[in-house]
Amino acid sequence: MIQTAQPRPSGADDAAPAPSSLRVTLAFPPQGHWTQPHLAIPSLKAWLEARGFEDVEQMDLSVEAFDHFLTAESLMRARDRVAERSEELDGATLPLGRMRAWRAATESAASADALIERVDGAKALLRGKDVPDGAPSGFWNTDRYVRAARTLYHGLRLVSAAHFPSELTPHNFTMGYSNDSSDQVLAATLDEEQNPFIAFYRDEILPRLVVRRPRVLGLSVLYGSQLVPALTLGRLVKEALPDCHVTMGGGYLAYIGAKVMAAPGLARCFDSMVFHEGERPLEALCRAVERGDEDLSEIGSLAWWDRRSGEALGVRNLPAHPIKLDAAPPPSFDGLPFEKYFSPELVIPYDVNRGCYYGECTFCTLPTVIGPGYRTRSAETIANDVVHLRDAYGTTHFNFITDCMPPGMIKDLPDELIARDAGITWWADARIEPKAYTEEGAERLYESGCRKLLFGFESAVKRILKMMSKGQSLKSVRQVAENCAAADISVTFYAMVGFPTETRDEARETLRYIEENRDVVREVSLQTFHIDEVAKTYRQPDEFGIRILPADGDLSLYHDYEASSGMTQEEAAEMFEEMMSSFRQNLPLFGGDNIFYFMQKSHYFLHLARGATPDSFAAACAARTEVRESGAGLDDARLPAGAELVPVDLDFSYVRAVETLGHPLARAARPDFLTGRFVEAADRLAEEQLPPLERLDGGRVLVYAAHTAEFVELGRDGLRMVEALRRAGTVGALLTRLAARSDASPAGLERARAFFARLLALGLLESESAAALTEDARRALIAAEA
Amino acid sequence: MPDEKKDASAEQNAENAAGRAAQAADDADQLTDDLDLEDLDLSVETAEERISPSETNVFDK
Repeated sequence: MIQTAQPRPSGADDAAPAPSSLRVTLAFPPQGHWTQPHLAIPSLKAWLEARGFEDVEQMDLSVEAFDHFLTAESLMRARDRVAERSEELDGATLPLGRMRAWRAATESAASADALIERVDGAKALLRGKDVPDGAPSGFWNTDRYVRAARTLYHGLRLVSAAHFPSELTPHNFTMGYSNDSSDQVLAATLDEEQNPFIAFYRDEILPRLVVRRPRVLGLSVLYGSQLVPALTLGRLVKEALPDCHVTMGGGYLAYIGAKVMAAPGLARCFDSMVFHEGERPLEALCRAVERGDEDLSEIGSLAWWDRRSGEALGVRNLPAHPIKLDAAPPPSFDGLPFEKYFSPELVIPYDVNRGCYYGECTFCTLPTVIGPGYRTRSAETIANDVVHLRDAYGTTHFNFITDCMPPGMIKDLPDELIARDAGITWWADARIEPKAYTEEGAERLYESGCRKLLFGFESAVKRILKMMSKGQSLKSVRQVAENCAAADISVTFYAMVGFPTETRDEARETLRYIEENRDVVREVSLQTFHIDEVAKTYRQPDEFGIRILPADGDLSLYHDYEASSGMTQEEAAEMFEEMMSSFRQNLPLFGGDNIFYFMQKSHYFLHLARGATPDSFAAACAARTEVRESGAGLDDARLPAGAELVPVDLDFSYVRAVETLGHPLARAARPDFLTGRFVEAADRLAEEQLPPLERLDGGRVLVYAAHTAEFVELGRDGLRMVEALRRAGTVGALLTRLAARSDASPAGLERARAFFARLLALGLLESESAAALTEDARRALIAAEA
Repeated sequence: MPDEKKDASAEQNAENAAGRAAQAADDADQLTDDLDLEDLDLSVETAEERISPSETNVFDK
């Protein structure tokens, strides 16, 4: 790749914009989260329109893909495909290499028909469309909400099984190919067996684009999980519409873009790439395309394939000047499929600033993806934009996109929002700033609509915090969290495990600190530490006592490392499991299936926005878990009307298979598109260290409980006992009958009781008296939300 | 409907319900009769899907 020498004239494109009818389509390719729109393409659309472009279309292909895959028709196709692809296993053991496929086929056999029947209802519920307008949606009822969410997760597992070994979840998309190598990435764009998006694009998206014939197609690639889907679409569009200029941009490409441009094989998938902030470069590119320019070297921050010689030569231009954020228009969400997001109420993302005003944390490279410097909008501009967006889109919920808000803004923004009577609720990331998040400051934030803040906490160990250059003390952490909690603002902590030289004891100290403060900390977003090539830890490894290991692939971004002391990467992965497992025991929102609230980006926030307090919500979650696990109300527990249990005979233990596949060693053998790592040797190591499953004697079954969307593995007599319960009516009635038998012993009866208690705890049985025990907490929550 | 007819109907319904309950209980007995209560395999296992780092994606919140 060459770098052009011509400096770009500063601010030249700030002249009065010329109107343009150029057809531009901006698309957000799969996979991103599904609860709310992403900000990138709405910001670009607004900019282009403000600069005179009259025909800018935007498409959220991620949520469209989820919607498409989660239909009865798609799931039927997936079921049939899984059946065609599943193979007989006649060996005495099930090795790791075949475990994933076996699990997929087994789950499909048990659940596919029920999923096909229920998928539409589950989607409607998460969208609040399960009832006529005005009636309370099942979204607000935890049991019904969790069932619907779980149904959709299982639906995606079925879709994934049909494209084995690919896995599409609401949080990630991985294939059997690695993001680390351009050869692998290109092969992934062509593999219809594994890549579900080829057919989706060909059948659903390409026909629309062919009719529209955009001259520029812009693809936003924020996450590693989008790389293959974006390039797949680019390739198809370039084949179908040779006159369309395909450009890409976004956070992930800010990291690996230079490497992508050094891989000419990928030139068949796109024409250019924007580094960092997209507004100015995209506008200049559109004007160049409109003029028919072949030389794009004047466009700042653009990398492009110069094809004038007949070959694709990668060229990277000099950086463009960043925009004045305060003068940029508010994002435009026009044309997005609002009805398809998996949320009953629209939550709008809005960027209050770009970059990070602190910018010192040694592990963090996030601010670099948007370009140099820190820029902010004024509080007045934000308030004006928010009111505009509120009225334009009829929603009062906002997600302020920011690495963190500076202390001045924490004071000014609430004042402006209150003065403008914005009447919104919002959530945002934040930094521990004790002078800003005072008691009064937090109250003022709540008054302005703030309902949830996510703080970069990272560690409770002074030594680690110092190495991270976090610039925060534990005293201020507690004080800030306490003040926010007292104001009924929910507090989430970002935490990290495995920072170089961190010991197990230190990680456990962090765990202990968080759990001791669970009265004010409601959620923890735990990450394992990893090193990308932009990070200070990569550039100055000696300072952190690590040795960076080389990465082989031509697109590699993340590196393994060896630490002079503390946990190895594998030990950190194990510690992640230990910490997460403890959080699941000790944080109400993480207990049992309440975890879905944490995993769905905005859903817990929507409860807070509706009036729930962090305390009332946590109490309702805790009561639900506690009563289920206590076995209370067992005597009148029964199978709900219409309960459907679909059994499949098991040759191997399903639960052992899932556990084995969840082991950090097995995970390391999979490409992880979050970190981009794909360690070939890990495959062998996992196969060597994780023993194969032994064939069962028979009698065990996997049951899909369609009414709770739960997989349960039952022993030999479980199904008959459940059927006996169905006939007897209640557990109490059945146990009475069993007790009357001459051969009944206390131990035998206790086993039967324990069996039903477990089913009750899993939600497979319902009990009116158990429900009554959670009624107080539930009523308090409903009253708060009323 | 005259009151006496209502009463008769309610009585009949109650009898039917009681009959159905008795029948269900008998059915339950039949199902469990040949189960050896001392040697039941009533294990219940579920696989708690582990939350992996990629499911708590810092970008995904």
